[in-house]
Amino acid sequence: MTMLRINGTDREFPAGIPHTLTELLEQLGINQATVVAEIDGKIVERQSFAQTRLSSGQAVELVRFVGGG
Amino acid sequence: MDKLVIAGREFDSRLLVGTGKFASCQLMAEAIEMAGAEMVTVALRRVDIENDNDDILSAIDRSRYLLLPNTSGARDADEAIRLAKLARAATGIEWLKLEVTPDPYYLLPDPVETLRAAEILVRDNFVVLPYINADPILAKRLEDVGTATVMPLASPIGSNQGLKTRAALEIIIEQANVPVVVDAGLGLPSHAADAMEMGADAVLVNTAIATAADPAEMARAFKLAVEAGRIAFKSGPRAAAIKASASSPLTGFLMDG
Repeated sequence: MTMLRINGTDREFPAGIPHTLTELLEQLGINQATVVAEIDGKIVERQSFAQTRLSSGQAVELVRFVGGG
Repeated sequence: MDKLVIAGREFDSRLLVGTGKFASCQLMAEAIEMAGAEMVTVALRRVDIENDNDDILSAIDRSRYLLLPNTSGARDADEAIRLAKLARAATGIEWLKLEVTPDPYYLLPDPVETLRAAEILVRDNFVVLPYINADPILAKRLEDVGTATVMPLASPIGSNQGLKTRAALEIIIEQANVPVVVDAGLGLPSHAADAMEMGADAVLVNTAIATAADPAEMARAFKLAVEAGRIAFKSGPRAAAIKASASSPLTGFLMDG
C-alpha cells in the first residue's frame, strides 16, 4: 500500500502505484499543464513531474491559479 | 495617455483588473478585454481533486496580459513567501502582488508581515507590488526595501466604499518615488477617476467590475474613467475655491448705461 497525503487528505493507492507525480496526476484526472506541485514542502518544477518518484507517507500539495483580486 | 512604467516595463493601460468573483471565465475574459487591461491578478488555490474545475489560465491570453499572482490567503510573511514561490514556479516570472491579510472581517493587510515578506522576496528577485493600508510611512519603508510599487487601499477589499483614505493617499502620492496603485474598495468609475485625478499612477479593480450586472460594460466605464482621470491630472487641475469666479466677462453688459 502507498499512502499519500494529497491536499490535506490521506489517500491509499495499491502498492507501488502511482510511481511518479505524472502518474498520480493522470490517475486523479488532473491536467498537469496548469498544476504546481509541492512534495513535503518542496516545490517540484513541472518539467520534473515525470521523473519525480513518489513514496509512501509523503505530503503532496497540488495547486493552480483561480480567479482572484 | 502617458505610459505607466513598473520595474522598467511599460504599460499603456493604467487599469489593473482582478479576475475573482466573475460568474464565468467567459465573462472575465470579456471584461479584461473591454478594460483594456495589460495586467490581471490571479490567486493560487488547492486543486479540487474530486471536482477538477476549469482552469482560469485557459481564459487568459498570456501574450496580451501580464499575470500578477497574488498571495491572498496568506496570514503571515512565511505563508506569503511560500505562495510567491509556488506562483513563480507556475508562471515562470517574478511579478507578484504581495498581500498578507490575517483579519477575515476587514481583510486589512498586516503591515509588519508585509514589510518582512517584501524584504525577503525582493532579495529573491521578485518584482513585488505590495497591497497595504494607506500608511505613508509604510509606503516609504517598502520603497526603501525595493518594492516595484506601493498599492494602498481606498477602502476595504470588495466594499465599494471608494476613497475613504483620501488624506493619507494624497501624502503617499506626494512622497512616492515608485508608482502608486490604488487598490481595493473602488466601487464606481467616478472613484477611479477621483484617484487618478489626485495623481495615482494606476488603480486595481475587481469586485466593482466582476459583480456588475454587465461586467464588460462596467469594465469599459472604468477604462474611460481611468483615462479621463489621468488626462485631467496631467492637465494641471486648479484648486477649489469658496467664492465664485465668473467664466464670462464682467464688462460690456447690455444693462450698463
